[in-house]
Amino acid sequence: MTAVVEPVARTRSGRAGVRQAVLSEWTKLRSVRSTWIALVVVLVAGIGLSALVTNIEAGRWSMLGPADRAQFDPVRFSQTGEFISQFVVGVLGALIVTSEYASGSIRTTVATLPRRTTVVAGKGIVIALVIFVVTEITAFVSFFVGQLVLTAHGGRALPAGSSILTQIRSSAIPVVGITDSGALRAVFLCGVYLTMLTLMALGIGFILRHTAGAISLYVGLLLVLPLIVQILPSSLSDPIERYLPSNLGLAMIVVTTRKTDFAGVLLSPWAATATLVLYTTAFVAVGAWVLVRRDA
Amino acid sequence: MIEATGLSKSYGRTRAVDDLSFEVRPGLVTGFLGPNGSGKSTTMRMILGLDRPDAGRVTLDGRRYHDLPWPLREVGALLDANAVHPGRSAHDHLLGLAQSNAIPRGRVDQVLEQVGLDGVAGRRVGKFSLGMSQRLGIASALLGDPAVLLFDEPVNGLDPEGILWVRTLLKSLAAEGRTIFVSSHLMSEMALTATNLVVIGRGTLIADTTVDDFIASNTESTVLVRSPEAGRLTGVLLASGASVDVRPDGGLLVTKASPSDIGDAAHGAGVAIHELSPQQASLEDVFMELTSDSVDFHGASGPAAAL
Repeated sequence: MTAVVEPVARTRSGRAGVRQAVLSEWTKLRSVRSTWIALVVVLVAGIGLSALVTNIEAGRWSMLGPADRAQFDPVRFSQTGEFISQFVVGVLGALIVTSEYASGSIRTTVATLPRRTTVVAGKGIVIALVIFVVTEITAFVSFFVGQLVLTAHGGRALPAGSSILTQIRSSAIPVVGITDSGALRAVFLCGVYLTMLTLMALGIGFILRHTAGAISLYVGLLLVLPLIVQILPSSLSDPIERYLPSNLGLAMIVVTTRKTDFAGVLLSPWAATATLVLYTTAFVAVGAWVLVRRDA
Repeated sequence: MIEATGLSKSYGRTRAVDDLSFEVRPGLVTGFLGPNGSGKSTTMRMILGLDRPDAGRVTLDGRRYHDLPWPLREVGALLDANAVHPGRSAHDHLLGLAQSNAIPRGRVDQVLEQVGLDGVAGRRVGKFSLGMSQRLGIASALLGDPAVLLFDEPVNGLDPEGILWVRTLLKSLAAEGRTIFVSSHLMSEMALTATNLVVIGRGTLIADTTVDDFIASNTESTVLVRSPEAGRLTGVLLASGASVDVRPDGGLLVTKASPSDIGDAAHGAGVAIHELSPQQASLEDVFMELTSDSVDFHGASGPAAAL
């Protein structure tokens, strides 16, 4: 009945490290159905909502005055799906940690890799790579679908040499190419934004260890915190507002608002990216510290 | 070889493990026995580096778990059979574990076959019965072909056939020279499986010995005697130095005297005897006796309810 057991060498050079953690975490991630459901939702809802919002905004074009036309952002509208995606990727990022606490299998994970920072690295690398690939695909497809929708509404490509940053008084809906005036940057950073949020949720998962708590905090940071800041007197809220995660995301993705009344309210795209990376690093670092310090 | 020295661990104000020292030697099954809540699982977690001891240390062949470069190749553990993602298949669960310690893929199918789960390798673990989960937990412990194996209550939820299978497996693993440390709150189970015993109650060591010595040194021989002249016999026995306890049904429980002593004394006094039967204290009784002071929560019907 018992098979001949192939011996496993007890001694082996090196030690179980990040490479093993990544392989193991990839197997764990791909072998549960919820991962694939979440990724399909990101792709489909992301592209679908972007197309829908672009369609609505394009339909309002004829009613817009010059100031609003100046703010019309054909890139931003094509990326509105990120609003849904940020919650899906956040839940996924938190779940790959908290589901292990819920089942108790975090103990097994930590016992296989007693250098616990390796566990954080393995999970972080795997989820970041997967989410980055899927959200970038989503962002680029959404961009091109968005421009198709605008074209269908009579949109026209900008004349050569002009930019949506300067071309304000156009009578036709502007349609941009991926290489036009910050479009590539905005679309690329949309995926970066969602990837960073995923890692932030992962860090929160390690800190709080409970699915409900981690998702509540994550959603709170994105949705509730901005509301609280809005209630504050503007002398207090003005300096804070641009550092809110959701506004960092906006700063990374918008193109035209920089020249309008939003100017000065948002950080520059790259400053926003750097700030978000800083937040994410902080959450992951605290999460790793908690995992190392506390009993599993 | 597992060596614990002065292990202590508190959770808040509860002292879960208190200055615990013991050794677990290779080539034998060592039972780790204690009532529920006595600190067995905490001790197991400290061995695996999951919980940090407040004081003391525990080593595996001289090294702390944290310092093992490829832990699954040296130590296998079954702590909680249900600690598995319910949506993952048995095969993928084991594959993820194997990859974490660079264990060849082929081992996954081997251990699945060894525990008799090869037929359900692709099925989601959430659909497993408790017995199947227990087998999967044992498979994951065996995955790295380790020299040291820890099992926390491995027969929980198994049917009689499964229990027999675990017993046989543990003994054969020990016979291969491995160190086997099995916790249980069931003395009778340990008596059938283990050679050595580490007994704890309320986190402190009660005994570190062999099963045989444990029984011998903790069993006081008792003899049940029935006689139509119980009163007179009691006087005779007390005079001979025995102690006598009169049961409600009139039977006499005699200690500090062998059956032959009692028979001779009765014969000498001319008292008829209708029954003379040595009472074998069961392991359960011995265990309950020893740990009764250290059981945290007694059931309403007495210590037996704690089992």
